[in-house]
Amino acid sequence: MKGYKKYYFNKILWYLLTLVCAVILNFVLPRLMPGDPVASIASQSLAGVTDATQVQKVYAEYAAKFGTDRPMWEQFFIWLGNALHGDLGQSFSQYPREVSDILAKAIPWTLALQLPAIIVGWLLGNILGAIAAYMKGVFDKAVLPLFMFIGSFPAFGMATIMLYIFSLKLKIAPTAGAYGFDLIPTMSWTFVKSVISHYQLPFWSIVLITIGGQGIGMRSMAIYELNADYVKYSRFLGIKDNKIVGYVFRNAMLPQITGLALSLGTMIGGNMVAEMMFSYPGLGMTMLTAVTGQDYPLLSACTLIITIMVLIANLALEIIYGIIDPRVKAQQQD
Amino acid sequence: MKNRKMNKIISVIAVAAMAMSMVAGCGSSSSSTASTDTKAETEAAADETTEEATEAADTEAAADETASSDEAATPRNETVYFAGQQWGAVNNYNPMSSNSNCWAMSQAGNCREMMYESLFMYNCLDGSVSGLLGDSYSWNDDKTVMTVTLKQDAHFSDGSAFNSADVVATWNAHKEYNSPTGASYTLYIDSIEAVDDYTVNINALLDDQGRAVNPLQIETYITAIFQMSDEYLQVVADRNNGDADAIKEDRMEDAVHSGPYSPYYASEQKLIFVRDDNYWGQSDSMWGSLPVPKYLAHVIYKDNAAGQTALQAGEVDACQQFITDVQKLWLEDGLSISTWLDEAPYGLCLSMPTIWFNCERNGLDQTAVRKAIAMATDFSQIAASAMSGQTYTFDEMPRCVANPTDAERKYIDFDQLTDLQFSGNDVDGAIALLDEAGIVDTDGDGIREYNGENLKYQAECPSGWSDWNATLEIIAAAGQKIGIDITTYFPEAASFYDDLTTCNFDIGMWTPTGAEISGLWARSAAYFSEDYAALEVNWSGNFGHYMNDEADALVKSIPYMTSDEELKEAYTTLSKIYLEEVPSFSAMYRPQAFFAANESVWTNYPAQSNSETCNIPPLVLTDGAGIEALYHLQLVEE
Repeated sequence: MKGYKKYYFNKILWYLLTLVCAVILNFVLPRLMPGDPVASIASQSLAGVTDATQVQKVYAEYAAKFGTDRPMWEQFFIWLGNALHGDLGQSFSQYPREVSDILAKAIPWTLALQLPAIIVGWLLGNILGAIAAYMKGVFDKAVLPLFMFIGSFPAFGMATIMLYIFSLKLKIAPTAGAYGFDLIPTMSWTFVKSVISHYQLPFWSIVLITIGGQGIGMRSMAIYELNADYVKYSRFLGIKDNKIVGYVFRNAMLPQITGLALSLGTMIGGNMVAEMMFSYPGLGMTMLTAVTGQDYPLLSACTLIITIMVLIANLALEIIYGIIDPRVKAQQQD
Repeated sequence: MKNRKMNKIISVIAVAAMAMSMVAGCGSSSSSTASTDTKAETEAAADETTEEATEAADTEAAADETASSDEAATPRNETVYFAGQQWGAVNNYNPMSSNSNCWAMSQAGNCREMMYESLFMYNCLDGSVSGLLGDSYSWNDDKTVMTVTLKQDAHFSDGSAFNSADVVATWNAHKEYNSPTGASYTLYIDSIEAVDDYTVNINALLDDQGRAVNPLQIETYITAIFQMSDEYLQVVADRNNGDADAIKEDRMEDAVHSGPYSPYYASEQKLIFVRDDNYWGQSDSMWGSLPVPKYLAHVIYKDNAAGQTALQAGEVDACQQFITDVQKLWLEDGLSISTWLDEAPYGLCLSMPTIWFNCERNGLDQTAVRKAIAMATDFSQIAASAMSGQTYTFDEMPRCVANPTDAERKYIDFDQLTDLQFSGNDVDGAIALLDEAGIVDTDGDGIREYNGENLKYQAECPSGWSDWNATLEIIAAAGQKIGIDITTYFPEAASFYDDLTTCNFDIGMWTPTGAEISGLWARSAAYFSEDYAALEVNWSGNFGHYMNDEADALVKSIPYMTSDEELKEAYTTLSKIYLEEVPSFSAMYRPQAFFAANESVWTNYPAQSNSETCNIPPLVLTDGAGIEALYHLQLVEE
């Protein structure tokens, strides 16, 4: 147990250090973008005003309100102090809305879309990979290559193709949004059906491009495991194929779990393109708005969430690895 | 053994769930069938809900109540759906806010009369001003006091009467809290005082000579500023303890307003307004009836493409977006989509996207360089490719400071401008002009020099504004043909705004004021005002800091001119300077509000060919006098 403590302590320490660096970068990088969003807000509201004093006065009011009149290091510590209390500030582009309010409305949609899509994609990919390795034939020569081809599509490309085929041409799927354009959220079957309907294209566009990558990884690992000595020995012993495949699958799964954890951590960053393409109201859309509106507080908050998710996923993975595969812990301790 | 069984069960459930979701998903791509099935119940429920929502006066609460009682809350045949006007969740309904993004409160030249109302409405088709909350207005002889009489049967959504106290309170609130409106108009209005319950005097701020600083701005005020309830303003002030900043940030979800539509539902996905069936405008002194649609809804799309897709799918009725080759939607795709005109330019061109030169840059401070670039630009290519024919050519509508409407063009003597016009793609003429001015390439690198420096510029506009991006590419190509190295630069919009408003650009593209009551003067000021140029940060105009004392003096004197002859002479002179000096030049004519209507559910939209609606400006059914369109809409299938 002593070994575990040291292992976990080291890991957590490094992750905390990474978090500090990431938080600083999340704050600083958006603010290095050219342009002054506060000047935009102030001067847009003063179009037609010819009195320079009045313009300056209003600009100064906004700069003071958003804190952009202070040095960046001071802004950082104010922001950090507030963030630790759950106050992520006010959005520039949607002022005076609170950033936390905007995020609270976006995150559930993203989680509801991305989490199942990645898990389903991962599962289907691994099953396909294992089948391709074990049964070969059409699965290895046609199905897996097909999904690898699909998986090489960029997210926006896949989304566009699906939108074109299923929405515009076949007209069997909606074009945009999370539910019918004529509905208001209710607990009715009409609404639920509409949500499911709108869920399909973004969901499958993520799933389809996930399958190939996961499948090829699983296939390689499974082939490697199938040729391992313990498999041959098991066969000599007359153990049934099903039992052997079970062992092979479990061993081949280890690197795949890494892939899943990383996918979960980066889901918002990578797959948010699908959200944007389908006008799905998640973090992807929120980030797009923040970038185009030079909305520092909102952008910093979005990237902070992504950072924390990636770090948590990685930390959880390393901790779990330490338990499920003691070799990893042992090697790290050397 | 147990594990295997469990795995099988889980697998079956998972596969079944996925299959079910696909079947359910693909089985119905739209909720319209369900909406129709439950229409009767829905209408009743919606009525109930509306009443409750109004009483609760809280959008969120309304949504929650709706959720429990109503399935298809905005039935297709009672709702007009919009696109292109709301790009994010609404942040407030507060007319005193500095940056409200609420679709119902946008001011694109003409006041949007959906929720709040102005005193008067401007009709950009004929230049007329008609009464809304106001009945009539008049100036005293020296234009220092404007007297406005008010409609006596107007009232707010809470039933309280609209009267002089509200007009006074609206002004005082803007002024006291230093709202954007207050900051803008305190430069022109000294005070507003009640004469009696239904008459107010607007007292102009006077200059050193005892004249009103700018009477035109007061005329703009009465057509552009939303009137608020005195009592409600007090409620807002009380709940914010009189704190000006807090008052300006108040979301005003419970707003008391005079317009025909109230907030109904707002989320990250959509914004819906419901008709106030107690709307005062149904009286004979105004419209004589309620607007036809019960709901006005706007789904929040991510971009133009998503909005256009929805329009084509019949999910949007009125679309305020630029659509390339819009005519193909009905000619090739066979969709029942219409525009103001059946043929090019399809829309009502009211604004003039303009190329602004930074007159402080080496070379661009020379008239010859500016004019040569303008002369060499291929405007027919801009019209054909960038605008896909949705603009007049400059042969059809010669350049001047006026937009292409009779309401403004009557102030221009085009005979005096004939010799000054340039129709574009005149590369030889541009080269000759530069050579004559001694601006030549001396070092043989193919680029002309001025003061020993190569003429090298960036042409800038926001990224993703495809028609503008294409326009600047055409201008850059023109520059290369005449030995001026122009490259394009398309930053994010916020970065571009920063460059434009701080004169940190070489060549920029932006649209000056479009059609509004004082639009011609405001656009002239945008081209020539030295006051704007003197601002450190300015969104008002003269972004390139062009200095011409004669033009500036004319801009300052126009607000005091009263006779048409005098105005015509002044605007013609300004147009001459504009064409001779080329401080900037229009790249195209363009609709102030794009407007494509899908007529599969609603019809009888504003159209020049429709005798019933031809005098209603096609301003997306809601702006200025254009709101009359909502009273003429008809269902395709009753």
